[in-house]
Amino acid sequence: MTRELLDLMGIDKERLALEWVSSAEGGRFAEVVTSFTQKIKDLGKNPLGVAA
Amino acid sequence: MNIEDAAQLTQTYYCLDCGVCTGSCPVSRVLPSFSPRLIVEKALLGLGDELLKDQELWSCLTCSRCYERCPSSINFPEFMRLLREEASKRGTQPVYSHHGMLQTIMELQTQGINQKKTEWAREAGQVAESGDTFFFVGCMPYFQVIFRDIGVDSLSVSKNVIKILNGAGIKPVVSDEEHCCGHDMLWNGQVEIFKKLAFHNLEVIRKSGAKRVVFNCPEGYYTFKKHYPEHFGELGFEVVHVYDLVAQMLADDVLKVENGAGPLTFHDPCRLGRMAKIYDGPREILNKLAKDQFKEMERNRENAVCCGTSGWANCGTGSKQIQMERLAEAKATGAQTLITACPKCQIHLNCALNNMDIDLQIKDLTSVLAEAIK
Repeated sequence: MTRELLDLMGIDKERLALEWVSSAEGGRFAEVVTSFTQKIKDLGKNPLGVAA
Repeated sequence: MNIEDAAQLTQTYYCLDCGVCTGSCPVSRVLPSFSPRLIVEKALLGLGDELLKDQELWSCLTCSRCYERCPSSINFPEFMRLLREEASKRGTQPVYSHHGMLQTIMELQTQGINQKKTEWAREAGQVAESGDTFFFVGCMPYFQVIFRDIGVDSLSVSKNVIKILNGAGIKPVVSDEEHCCGHDMLWNGQVEIFKKLAFHNLEVIRKSGAKRVVFNCPEGYYTFKKHYPEHFGELGFEVVHVYDLVAQMLADDVLKVENGAGPLTFHDPCRLGRMAKIYDGPREILNKLAKDQFKEMERNRENAVCCGTSGWANCGTGSKQIQMERLAEAKATGAQTLITACPKCQIHLNCALNNMDIDLQIKDLTSVLAEAIK
């Protein structure tokens, strides 16, 4: 639902991610965060006009 | 604005201490700790600081039933709004419903986003980029996403407005750039955000060259009619409610409808009824749609009861009780359909209906009308 709302507001819905990571999966947590951070960097500044 | 100025502006000094306000208040009935009379008393006794910290400030539905009945014509809803403005400056706020999601959407709209919220309009009928008539869609595309889980199809109302306008040969302008009208921000005490939203809307509408703006949402209509001129002066275009337009179209025979929608009853939204004084338009339409089958509820017109929540804040057990009583009242008329004319009434009453075991459906007047067009 949040993705749909972002879409209506003209904010790229790819900027939102929801992942489940267990406390035992340290490696996977690092992986998820790193890849999402990279994705956001690739997408660039958001359109809101606030500091990115 | 400080409390003394607010009291001056809304004539609170004329309070006779009669208590009609509290006796009329739907909130006081279910939450006895809330009392309009007590709030006015406190303000006049100089207990303003205490009042501004009080959570009860946000319990008022601003439904205007007290103002309607007050022998001194004290505009209590406006008084509450002014106090909220001051309270929010001092850092207090209501308990936002839906985790504050709707307020967040409104605030984000002031940050220069490029919305994509009118695709449905092109599918629903003929719309234009510029022209004489601007259709102010309001929050409906957002409501559609947020509230479809409780079975409310908000956008169908907007689609039907376009169908009705098209039926009369009008190609309305709809705009992705249109922002929220600011109604909720205004009543949540966030007047600066309201002003930003309103200023932007005025620019968008003026740019479109429209001579009139059509609304189906009573809140949008009333906010444009009353609060926009208060903040920005002459608007330069006409503010029209779709029901007035439809009533005219029916009278002129431009629009023909079938009789046979009954039995039904009508819930007056507070912004449409008590505030904008539109009581007869919807009833004329309903009498055409369901001749002899349209029954009034016991509490109707200026005595109608609020749908239980306003401004997406402070929804609680009291709200539910108000809604459930209202639905039972609708059912008692023998109606099968409860007609509302406000997107929010529809959402709130449906929410309560989902937890009740009564055979009643809730529909928007616009949709019933669109179904009956010949």
